[in-house]
Amino acid sequence: MAQVIVDARQWQNMFDLRTGRKLEIENPTNRMVRDVLHRHPYPGDTSYRSNRWVSEVALDLIRIYQPRLVCLSYAQQYFTSRFSYLSPLEYEDLLDQVFREIEDFIEISGYTPVIVGTGDMTELVSDIDLSRTDGLCLSSAWSARYAGLSEPSERDLIQVRSHPGIERVVSREEWVDLFAGIPYERDRTPDYLLVARPGRAFRTVVTPIRRAVRIPGESSAVPVVTDLGTVDDIIGLKTLIEQNLEATDIALIVVEGVGLRNFPRPNQACSNGRGWFYYEPGETQYLTITTGSHQVFAYPAGFLDLYDDEEYPFSGFLREVPGHTLGGEFDGRSIAVGNRSMYTHMVYGADICVECFARNLYNQGSMAVIHREKEGWR
Amino acid sequence: MRCAYCEWNCELDESKFGVCRMYYAQDGRIKERFPHRWSSCSVSRIESLPFYHVWPGSRSMTIGTFGCNFMCRYCSNGFIARQDPVEWKGRMFDLNPDEMIRMAHKLRCHNIVFNVNEPTVSMPSLMELHEHARKADMPMGCFTNGYTTREAADELARVFSFVNVGLKGFSDEFYREYIGIRSIEPILRNVETFARACHVEVITPVIQGANDHEIDDIARFLADIDPEIPWHVFRLLPEHEMKGSSYPSIEGINRLLHYARTRLKYVYFHNFVGSDWVNTICPKCGMHVIERFSLGCGGDRLDAFHCTDNRCPCCGQEIRILGERLAWKRENRGVAQWHR
Repeated sequence: MAQVIVDARQWQNMFDLRTGRKLEIENPTNRMVRDVLHRHPYPGDTSYRSNRWVSEVALDLIRIYQPRLVCLSYAQQYFTSRFSYLSPLEYEDLLDQVFREIEDFIEISGYTPVIVGTGDMTELVSDIDLSRTDGLCLSSAWSARYAGLSEPSERDLIQVRSHPGIERVVSREEWVDLFAGIPYERDRTPDYLLVARPGRAFRTVVTPIRRAVRIPGESSAVPVVTDLGTVDDIIGLKTLIEQNLEATDIALIVVEGVGLRNFPRPNQACSNGRGWFYYEPGETQYLTITTGSHQVFAYPAGFLDLYDDEEYPFSGFLREVPGHTLGGEFDGRSIAVGNRSMYTHMVYGADICVECFARNLYNQGSMAVIHREKEGWR
Repeated sequence: MRCAYCEWNCELDESKFGVCRMYYAQDGRIKERFPHRWSSCSVSRIESLPFYHVWPGSRSMTIGTFGCNFMCRYCSNGFIARQDPVEWKGRMFDLNPDEMIRMAHKLRCHNIVFNVNEPTVSMPSLMELHEHARKADMPMGCFTNGYTTREAADELARVFSFVNVGLKGFSDEFYREYIGIRSIEPILRNVETFARACHVEVITPVIQGANDHEIDDIARFLADIDPEIPWHVFRLLPEHEMKGSSYPSIEGINRLLHYARTRLKYVYFHNFVGSDWVNTICPKCGMHVIERFSLGCGGDRLDAFHCTDNRCPCCGQEIRILGERLAWKRENRGVAQWHR
C-alpha cells in the first residue's frame, strides 16, 4: 500500500494513495519523509525559490535515503513563462537560473546527469474557440495543441476542417493506427483529435480560465544532455539509464518549458513523438520517457470521462499507478522530486516521491508518496 | 443614471461603467456591456464549490463572467474579477441561454452554479438563463458577496434555488480595510433575505489577525437567523495583494470555532487537504451522516451518504438538504441529441 503524506503547512496527514482514506501508520520511513516536508515548505509554482526547493528537497532526501536513482522535474520557468509577460532578456535570464540551479545540484550531489528538456514555449498568437460546436469539444487542462471532438455534426466537421488555426483533423482510427500496438480505451478517446498550428491554443469549455501568455511550441524533437551514450528518441532514455545504473548513480533531470531553440547547453536532439504527433509537456510525455514506450493514450487529449474516477484522488486523471516506470522497476533505492504538481509520484514510480501540492497555481503545500521502502537506508 | 443592482449605486452613462465595469446606461436603461459572454464553463463536483447540503454527489456545470463589485485584497480570482473585462474581449465564451443548457446536458450536469465572480454584475444574462434552465428543469445556484440592493437580492433569490453567501467578516472596519466597501449592513440584510427565500449556505474565509476575532459574532448572527444554515469556514490562501502573507494556522482557527459549534448545527472548516471537519454530523445523535473527502484547492467530494429520505439513519433527525443524493456518474446518453 502506497502512503501519501500531505503537508499543508503546520498540518500533516497521511492517506492511502489508492483510496484516499486516512492512515495512522508510524515508521522510520514516513517519519523521515514527514521531517523532510516540514523542513521544506513549498514556496509556490512561480516563486523565484521554486526550483531551489526541488534541489533542496532532493539533496535532503539523498543525504538520508542515499538513492542510486534520482528523478527531478524543474518547472518554475514553465509556469512563470506560461502566465507572465517576460521580455526576451528576462526569459533568457530565467532559463539561465534554471541551469545554474541544475548544475549546482549536479556538483553537490555528484550524480551523473541525464537532462531532458520537455520542449520550447512559444508566444500564444490566438485561441481557437470551439465552445459552440454541436458535438462536445474538450481540451485537457494544460494542453494547447490538442483537443478532442466527440459526436460532431457535419457542420462541426466543416468548421474544424476549414479553421485556419487547425493544422489537422484526425479520426480516432487514424490516431490509433499511428500508434499501432499501443493500448487505448475507446470510451476515453474522442472521435476526432484536433491539432492546432504552433502558437494557437484550443479554448473549449473546461479549459482553465487563467490566460496563457506562452504555450508549448513545436517540439517534434527535444534536447537531451548525457555522457552515457547517444539516444535518438525519448523512448530510448529508460534503457540508456537502466544500462548505466549498474555502474553509476544517475539523476534524470526533466526541465520543463525548454526545447531545442532555447536550450542553453550543447545537446542532442531526440525524437518526441511519432509522425505528425509530438508530446506536449505533461503526463504522457513523462510516462513515455520513464516507461520507454509511447503512452499517448494514457491521458488522451479531449478524453471524455471528466473527473469520473473514485480512486487515486491525489493523482489527477491517472487511474492506477503506471507499470514499467523507471523508478518502479529499479531494484536499488530511488527518489523523485518535482514542482510540476500532481503526477510526479505516478510517472516516475520512485520509492519516495515529493511534489508540490498546488492546483492551478494555488499553493496548498507539498505532498510525498512512499511507494515502497528499500532496505539498508537506516 | 444610477445602477440599481448593487449597493454602490454607481452613476452610469454610455462611457461610465461603474465599479464592476459591467454595465452602462443608454436610453434610460441600464444595460450589460457583455451579455451572454462567459469567462468559464466547466464541470465540478458540487461539494467542491462548496455546497454541502444541495443535491449531494451531483455534477455541476460551473460558470462565471467578469468583474466584481468588491476589491478584496486577498482575492483568489483576481486575474478574472479584478481585471478590466475589456481585456478579456476576444476570449469570452459567447453562449446564449439555449446553448448553455445544451452544454450542461452534453457535460451530463445536474445543475448550474455561478461561482467565479459576483453574479450581480451579470444579472440580465442570468435572469434569461434562469428562464431556460427552469424550462429544462435544471436548478441554478450561485456564490454572491451579498452586496446587492434589496431588489437585486430578491431577484437573485428568485433566479437561484441555492445561494452561498460570502460573509467575509462582521464589522465595517474589516470590510473597509480588506474589501473596500463602506458598510456591512446590506450584506447582513441580504443574508436574511436569502435565508427566507431559498436554500442558503454561508462561507467565511478566515485571515488570522484580520477577521478571526469576528468568528463568534458571525456564528451568533447566523444562528439568530437560522441555526441550520451550513457555515463553511475557509482557511484562506492569500492571493492578489496579500500573496506572501503567512498561511493561517489550522489548529488555531479550529480552536476558535468552539462557540460556533454550540450555536450552529452544521459548521465546516476546510480548504486544506485532508480536513477532519467536512463531514455532516447529525445534530441530535452525533452520527456522521454524510462523509466527504477534501483535497483542499483540488476540491471536495462526497464519500458516503447515509441519510435515507434526508434523515439520520440512527435517530431519524431530519438533515437539511435541498434535493436528494444524486449519482455523479450519469448515464451517457450521447451528445448528438443535443445538437442544434
